Amino acid sequence: MTIRVLLVDDETSFVETLDRRLTLRKLQVLTAGSADEALDILEHNEVDVVVLDVRMPGTDGLTAIKTIKRRYPLIEVILLSGHATFEASVGGMALGAFDYLLKPVRLDELVYKIEDAFRRKSLQEEKIRTLKNAAVSASGEQES
Amino acid sequence: MEITPEEADRLSNLFRQRYHSFRVLLAANGRALETMATMEKAYAGTRPFGMEFVVSNVTSVAIRVYRMISHLEVLAPDTYSELFTRFDEIRADLDAIVNPPPTVIGAPDVVPMTQIRRTDSTVVGAKMANLGEIAGTLGLEVPAGFVITAAAYRRLIDHNDLRPEINRLIQNAEIDRPDRLFALSSQLQQLIATAEVPLDLADAVKDALADLLEGLGSGVGLAVRSSAFGEDSADTSFAGLYDSQLNVHPDNLLETYLEIAASKYTPQAMVYRFQHGLRSEDTEMAVGCMAMIDASTGGVAYTSDPKDATDRRIHISAAIGLPKTVVDGRFDADFFIVERTPRTVVQRRIAYQTTALVLRPGEGITRSDIPSEIADKPTLTDEEILSVADAAIRLEDHFGAPQDVEWARLADGRLVILQARPMHHALVPDAVPTIEGVPIVSGGVCVSPGAAGGPVSWVRSDREALKMPNGAVLVVDYPDPRWAALLDRTAAVVSEHGGIAGHLATVAREFGVPAIFGIGELEVLRRGEEVTVDADGLAVHRGLVPGLEKGRRRPHLMEGSPIHEMLGNALSHIAPLTLLDPNAPEFRPANVQTLHDITRFCHEKAVAEMFAFGSDHSFPKYAAKQLHHNVPMQWWVLNLDDGFTGEVTGKYIHLDEISCEPMHALWNGMVAVPWDGPPAVSGSGLASVLFEATRNPALSTPFKKPYAQRNYFMISENFMNLQSRFGFHFSTVETLASERDSENYLVFSLKGGAADMDRRSARAQFIADILSDKGFHLTVIEDTVTARASALPRENVLDLVKIVGYLLMHTRQLDMVMGDQRSIDHYRSKLENDILSLNRK
Repeated sequence: MTIRVLLVDDETSFVETLDRRLTLRKLQVLTAGSADEALDILEHNEVDVVVLDVRMPGTDGLTAIKTIKRRYPLIEVILLSGHATFEASVGGMALGAFDYLLKPVRLDELVYKIEDAFRRKSLQEEKIRTLKNAAVSASGEQES
Repeated sequence: MEITPEEADRLSNLFRQRYHSFRVLLAANGRALETMATMEKAYAGTRPFGMEFVVSNVTSVAIRVYRMISHLEVLAPDTYSELFTRFDEIRADLDAIVNPPPTVIGAPDVVPMTQIRRTDSTVVGAKMANLGEIAGTLGLEVPAGFVITAAAYRRLIDHNDLRPEINRLIQNAEIDRPDRLFALSSQLQQLIATAEVPLDLADAVKDALADLLEGLGSGVGLAVRSSAFGEDSADTSFAGLYDSQLNVHPDNLLETYLEIAASKYTPQAMVYRFQHGLRSEDTEMAVGCMAMIDASTGGVAYTSDPKDATDRRIHISAAIGLPKTVVDGRFDADFFIVERTPRTVVQRRIAYQTTALVLRPGEGITRSDIPSEIADKPTLTDEEILSVADAAIRLEDHFGAPQDVEWARLADGRLVILQARPMHHALVPDAVPTIEGVPIVSGGVCVSPGAAGGPVSWVRSDREALKMPNGAVLVVDYPDPRWAALLDRTAAVVSEHGGIAGHLATVAREFGVPAIFGIGELEVLRRGEEVTVDADGLAVHRGLVPGLEKGRRRPHLMEGSPIHEMLGNALSHIAPLTLLDPNAPEFRPANVQTLHDITRFCHEKAVAEMFAFGSDHSFPKYAAKQLHHNVPMQWWVLNLDDGFTGEVTGKYIHLDEISCEPMHALWNGMVAVPWDGPPAVSGSGLASVLFEATRNPALSTPFKKPYAQRNYFMISENFMNLQSRFGFHFSTVETLASERDSENYLVFSLKGGAADMDRRSARAQFIADILSDKGFHLTVIEDTVTARASALPRENVLDLVKIVGYLLMHTRQLDMVMGDQRSIDHYRSKLENDILSLNRK
């Protein structure tokens, strides 16, 4: 199954390059130049993993991850930062980020993280499905 | 009990979720350990590293460790939550180390020179602090003026919110790549030069300027000079690495201020800070604004020989015009040596001066031809030379260390001190072998001693600077201070012009790069040709003289520097391992001291949790199976995920039903060579075994009994964790061999034995020796040998696993023969031969 990734970064040249390279690796890529644009895209598209720059003009990544995790708890978010502030990085993890990577990031590394994040999302979805099935079958037993 | 299909689905999902968390935890563990090793290596090594290295590695380890705790929490909810508390405490300690409070708080934006003393160096920089001290306490003349402080610089940066952008640009660049360095430097300087000066700062500067001009009268220009924190200190000179602008029109002061502030990021200053382990936050840029001195002559005085600290005679360079003529090194200057007592000129070398730098009417400076009738005359009379020497000695007495003094003499005879800083003497290099043969070029002045060779690289422009290969001999027409950016990767420097007092000479001495300046015409040196520069012998020879590298002594500039110290402090909260024994009662979250402890704890508990969950659950698909190989064996296998080729319903599992590649590799290694049986043991060896047996050492395993008595494999398709006991030995093998090279690893550890501690330790060392050339990182502590290899392609990991399987089988009971050298030699050669043949099969 194709992994659907949303790249969010205000550095357009970085996003474009990453878009091209991730697409070559058979990922389905959407891009956004700001957090607000990203939230808009999430409203109208199915996305598995968001790769989110921490520092952007307007709404920053740490604020955006809170909104994303609140609205779409199953979507996994990988934070990407051009500047390692020690506090922000661990803080970002505590907000539910799947991982926090420092730029410049190796493409392989990023792809592994995206795959791992996708795997977690799939397992979570499956968990919800199995719980529902168990509930349905339990109620079915009661009815019969 | 039968379970429903829905319950089976749920359990299956649960197992896979747990396995996923386990995998993520292991990957984080591997990455954290690797990063710790990188940091320890950097700390112990001589290669320079920057603030960004420290911050990003500390951050990276912290993130991995946090990930490990979070995923252990998935495996064992609410069981080890105290780890989060301990992690937060360690994190707070680390944060205080990597984000120390700023050095200047609450200082004014502008301070007049008359109020400045040397203790103010954190506010106005050492250069201006020294000048204030000289005027205020020594009564020597310095230019009138004021300083725009480091606090003002910080406000400028904050006002424009530049700090995050600056840090981001620096983090993303590789400043050891010259092209990136130059591009980065230009971006950073642009940011600052185009910043907006806060209104109140601009007003304060205008007020101070009005006061200054009132005292000077009209038509006087300004000298605007950098005075960064850390510049001109006893440890670091920063000679000429930042900008200074001369004869600036007062109307252009604010623009000039921004340009000088931006020069904090010249390539040469960035390389210099990097080499010296200075944080860029600690080198905030104060800027001195002073009345321009219209010097008729000027130069530099050293109160000892910069190449030899024991020669305490005064060394004076002098030229017609501004002192810049001397420090830029572009034009040749007169040189005098003055004896202290009796104070007399004992040596003089008069240059033929054709060009002087003088003030340009309106703004700036310009070249001026020197009339031929005075070109070969001494710049200074003996009386004037002695007056410069007197002032320099007074400065040395006052500051208590040899001084490097920039001076100017006015047409009316007044002597003005423009700068005084501690001298930087050259390291005394090790003795250089005598170089035979006729040199290609010779002459000039040795400005930094030693000898070294490399390919010739002519540098006259930034373009050529970018192309200079590492380890080249830098050849220039004059010693432009800009080329200091190249010195960290330069073997030696030769310059057609210039002398000992130039800025580039100062930095060459600091970096321990041999250099000859003023050697004359160098056209004979062709690009790429290999030459050897013998600075002491004032000669350049064709070819590379062997043996020079050994005698070369590069100073370890990082040691004791703020960034080196910062890394050391951070490491003390990260790297030591204090939780050693998983069976000790102290092995608890409350007792973790360092991030390494947390990784150790999380790993240990994650393995145990995975095992306990698998062995306690009655879910048949994931229950432990006994390995069946012709007969049932004492090996049990727990499937974490996709480790079996299909559904296995019974109690037993056959090898061909296992899809775990590492397990097959280990097994192949174990059975590749038949075991000869226990080694023949001498009487004393046997006695040792019997004695140890009576002491019944409890060998540690992370598992509760009765599992501790068995050999367990936990597997998936590309992961294997083996906990095994062979009699008195306990060993673990854990490996991940997937398509992701960077996450792959193998850890093998073996401890215990039946013999006494000496022999057991000898066996541990014996195994380490056997593995020493196989690419493992090895540690031996008492009778435990641990071998770790990581970030290898899958095939290589599997080859290593096979070797480990072989050793598991064949080093059993070898501890008992460790007293006998002949047996040791016999087994060493047997094992080495067997291992060689292993991967050929």
